[in-house]
Amino acid sequence: MSDRIEYDVTLVGAGPANMALAYRLVQLTDRPIRIAVLEKAKEIGGHLLSGAVSNPRVIEKLFPMWKSDGFPHKGICSESYVSILGPRRWENVPSLLTPPYFKKEGYAILNISDMCAYIAAKITAEAAQKDGVVVDFYPGFPAQRIVFDGDRVAGVKVDDTGDENADTLYSKVTVFGDKGFVSRDLIAKYNLRKNPQVWSVGVKEVWETPQSHEGKVWHTMGYPMAPGHLGGGFVYGQTNNQLVIGMVMGLDFVNPNLRPPQILQDLKKHPFIQEMLRGAKLVKYGASVLPEGGFYSLPEKFAVDGAMLVGDALGTLDVKRFSGVDKAMESGYQAAETIWEAHKKEDFSASGLASYQARIMNGWVGKELSDSRYFRKAFNDHPKLLDIFIPRLAAAVDSGKSVVYAGIQAGMADPFGSLGLLSARKKIENPSDIGPAVYKEDRTHIGKDYADNRKISEGYAENTIYTTADVVFYAHTHYGEENRHIEEFDAAVCKECIATFDASKKDTPCVGDCTAEVHQTLEKDGTRIHAMALENCVQCTTCEIVCPRTNIRVRAALRGYGPDFSGM
Amino acid sequence: MGNGYKMAVLIKQVPDTSSAAGVNPDGTVDRARAKRMINPFDKFALQKAIETRAAHGGEINVISMGPPPALEVLVEALEYGADYGYLLSDRRLAASDTLATAFALYKAITYLKDVDIVFTGLQTTDGDTAQTGPQIAERLDVAQITYCETMEIVNGRIQASRIIDGGIQKLETAPPALITIANSASRLEHKKFANVHMVKKLSRDKAEMERRIKTITLDDIGAEPERVGLLGSPTVVGKTWKLGEKGGSCQLFKGDKPSHEVELLVGAIKSDGKGVEEFVA
Repeated sequence: MSDRIEYDVTLVGAGPANMALAYRLVQLTDRPIRIAVLEKAKEIGGHLLSGAVSNPRVIEKLFPMWKSDGFPHKGICSESYVSILGPRRWENVPSLLTPPYFKKEGYAILNISDMCAYIAAKITAEAAQKDGVVVDFYPGFPAQRIVFDGDRVAGVKVDDTGDENADTLYSKVTVFGDKGFVSRDLIAKYNLRKNPQVWSVGVKEVWETPQSHEGKVWHTMGYPMAPGHLGGGFVYGQTNNQLVIGMVMGLDFVNPNLRPPQILQDLKKHPFIQEMLRGAKLVKYGASVLPEGGFYSLPEKFAVDGAMLVGDALGTLDVKRFSGVDKAMESGYQAAETIWEAHKKEDFSASGLASYQARIMNGWVGKELSDSRYFRKAFNDHPKLLDIFIPRLAAAVDSGKSVVYAGIQAGMADPFGSLGLLSARKKIENPSDIGPAVYKEDRTHIGKDYADNRKISEGYAENTIYTTADVVFYAHTHYGEENRHIEEFDAAVCKECIATFDASKKDTPCVGDCTAEVHQTLEKDGTRIHAMALENCVQCTTCEIVCPRTNIRVRAALRGYGPDFSGM
Repeated sequence: MGNGYKMAVLIKQVPDTSSAAGVNPDGTVDRARAKRMINPFDKFALQKAIETRAAHGGEINVISMGPPPALEVLVEALEYGADYGYLLSDRRLAASDTLATAFALYKAITYLKDVDIVFTGLQTTDGDTAQTGPQIAERLDVAQITYCETMEIVNGRIQASRIIDGGIQKLETAPPALITIANSASRLEHKKFANVHMVKKLSRDKAEMERRIKTITLDDIGAEPERVGLLGSPTVVGKTWKLGEKGGSCQLFKGDKPSHEVELLVGAIKSDGKGVEEFVA
């Protein structure tokens, strides 16, 4: 057997949280330390995708000169709007009525793919300046599963040669910054998450437009979301005449066939966006899921013996503020401070790492998450908000009313509902304690019958729209023929599920919610079976989240296979 | 063969054909600006060496001839599992044609001493001659098997299948031999984590790195300077032509439904004056 492969610290996933962690840890250390970074993409950043308009508060801490020293931001937000959309009209909410947390002026417009590739290069350069400080990046090698030593996390499995030492990366501490591919096993083993995570899915396109919209940021509600469905659009003007268009939608919704890429196409059909896309060229498409449970989906412990959770694995995203990247980076920053203390004391036990949780919860991440803690609950407790109020608001805007008038009209139409609205608003804006929010798993919200009666914008240009079949082309996915990264546990269970949804003339959720046309049903020997075109997959994990029978597991693809989100 | 076979794999660093970087307006390649990669044909040769070592033991020596950046492909070969790398790098090698290159590589293989099997790719993506492998075999005066797809060694004899027009030819020979591997042979396996890790450690251990990858010159291998480089290359390049560009006129038909996209496509073909009625029911 070969020698054991050992590092002091292993980072699972080279996302914003772990990149902030590694950079901060290399800054802090004055003694030898060895860090390994595992990343499933072929190159650092290759599988990273986010909106993103982000408060640059952590970037400022790590890179004080970020605005001018080559840090790859895509512009600074100069105008930020919240917009109400009907299929024909687009109205921005007046600034005075816009809640402060929706105002993004001065924030950095980022693509985290380029950002993390940049930080990785900075980490390597910084480490080279310090004796005995080693940071080894392993793109193309995801953590496949967790290796335990009793109740302690000893490391992760990284290869399949059959030689245990060659296949395992051992570490004093393993930090999970993935979107659940492996961290869910840690959370399950220690039963850390008493309230399930609430997920939404985001789809995004990058365009090159003839005119620059640099610095302009729109967050939209109303069209093209269906009544009752929490979600919205984002349109960001970036440097180099790039325009980002995206949709984020909750996966805790009754419709089994959301068709996220189609909803994004519908947003693009809006005349306001059509105008910006005249003569424009589509560069890329991508999709990713977002953990939206926030405060009440946080694990009971953020660290166990030999392991920590950061970023989306931890669930620090704050959906009320659209604040994911900054909080993920702060979790990495605080994890670095904790690991540095633990490294000095040579104590990576749960108690040696325990201060991490207090650092997060007593700092601004914990404070803001606490402030946002009833955001999701407000929508769950007051379904009229999404079922009636927002659709009415959007309809009034669409008929030519101002946002203020439309708001009053929508509110007055149902005076009793308005009281609920005020209560919902209080939960969102200024919560007083009403006990913990309780979530149900997203899949339990999905029904079998749902009529999609959305009105779609008319008069759009064909060349701005494409069918789902082209998604793979624009996501630049590549897989080898031996790839098998999505597991279906029991084919019979899939057959039952298909029969159930067939009876309602619906696709199964895995088919209907897929962001890249991976899942499909085929006729074989007289029954319909579940099949997958794995070579299309952008590794968003939506299918696993929505599978009504928990019959699917998405694993990180090996060998660097998957989409190419560089520039996303 | 108690200690297995001593193998040499010849690999070349070529411009990355998937990247437009470093292509001059006249179609020639600016090698300093171009992205670089292992000649894809050579990966099949490396895989055959790895398979042979797995079956019979031995050591894999990877040899590359080129300017200093070619060190990158030797490091990469170590990540794939090669044991030692040799970079034959010498200014006097510049502008070598296949005759001169084959001579230099033959000298390098002789310098390694007692090589049992030399594996090469079929050809390179930048030169495309497929001449160098056979020329080296002639100089080494060993058996050569070209276009080899599969091979195994039974009782010390190499049994190989090579692709010929309309079929497969089976050959048998005893080492030493030179084998050029077809690009329909088994593909190079993905890098092993442990190998990548080992190479990362090497990059921080100068002495060990120099033991594993050596840079050698004409003087080391005893090759006469007048037989390599421009002096040793009788090939005269008269003129190069740019034969126009492929692609660039691709048109994507986009629409809500596939049927709509087909309508657009058919419409476009019709308006081009090239009827499609006979193909469309």
